[in-house]
Amino acid sequence: MEHIKVKKLIGENAMTLDDGEVLFRQIHELLIRGETVELDFDGVEIFATPFFNAGIGRLLADLQPEILKAHLKIQHLSALGDRVLRRVIENAKEYYSSSSEHRKAIDSIVHETTATM
Amino acid sequence: MQVHFDFTQCGFLRPNAVVFLGGLVRIINDRGGKARLDVSTMQQGVRANLEINGFAYAMGANLSPWKGNSIPYREDSFQDENGIVEYLKKNWLGRGWINISPNLMNAIASQMWEIYTNAFDHSGSGVGVLSCGQYFPKRRELVLAVADFGVGIPSNVRIHKEDPILSGKCAMQWAFTRGTSTAKKLGPRGMGLDLLKEFIRVSQGGLAIYSHDGYARITKDGEFYQDLPVFFEGTLVQVTLRCDDIYYSLSNEADPAPYF
Repeated sequence: MEHIKVKKLIGENAMTLDDGEVLFRQIHELLIRGETVELDFDGVEIFATPFFNAGIGRLLADLQPEILKAHLKIQHLSALGDRVLRRVIENAKEYYSSSSEHRKAIDSIVHETTATM
Repeated sequence: MQVHFDFTQCGFLRPNAVVFLGGLVRIINDRGGKARLDVSTMQQGVRANLEINGFAYAMGANLSPWKGNSIPYREDSFQDENGIVEYLKKNWLGRGWINISPNLMNAIASQMWEIYTNAFDHSGSGVGVLSCGQYFPKRRELVLAVADFGVGIPSNVRIHKEDPILSGKCAMQWAFTRGTSTAKKLGPRGMGLDLLKEFIRVSQGGLAIYSHDGYARITKDGEFYQDLPVFFEGTLVQVTLRCDDIYYSLSNEADPAPYF
């Protein structure tokens, strides 16, 4: 099992795409190989979606949610981080599971809504 | 080319006007022109405000800023996340105008960062990102304005959707729909503004965005989009927070459900 202290890796602000990319590079290969990764967020205070999108949401491109549920452990994540991460995962699941037709349908709904405003 | 700014008819410069003015000056200078801010035409209050918030100092005046009710004028040419978070926590949220816990301060700073990250990621602004704020004691409101002078939201959406005649209103509505993003790198994007909108609604604040020919306003009462009759070369975001802690609630409990 690989234990990663996120604060040591990127500092106390987990906000940018670049920092998310750093995290992704640390964990992606390990998870692909079937290893278990513990992400310890102790001491990380601020979280924003670009970090989680690039670091964790993107894992869903080639790893199934069941694999991540079993092999990616999240520790000491604050309530703020918890809320942001859940929203990012929810969005990533939709993103990677939706077809281009589905995305077009969302676009047309937006068009129809604005036409009546 | 010399551009002369006359402030004769100006009674007050709100933070959005300050960042807009700062951006204009930088653009004019960038393009080889010269901007001249005519201090002699400024009413005393306008001049004092620009001195207090550090705008005058940033423009080359030999005046050290002080704080008063203003949140300092700031220009960022690169994504200095630690510096911007410090600015938000210390100069905007940490001045005692709003009584919030350190956890809530982190949460609000996190939401505001989403504005900055959009400005840095999407705009390609040649003059960076400009910020300024103000506390309005009578209204008990805390305002932050963030501007870039880049390609703008409608333009990015039109390119992304390959729809060059999409109206500014429709483009703004698309950009503020949950899960949409014009960004292509590093996986799915687009939840930052969704979280920000949710926060604004719950805290009964306000969010106004001017971008090229599109305008969006988000309040507790809903979302409003319209075409702008004038064209603003960039994106200007203004956030208004209520300074009463009863509007802010944040659970300190993480959700026990699995993430995936």
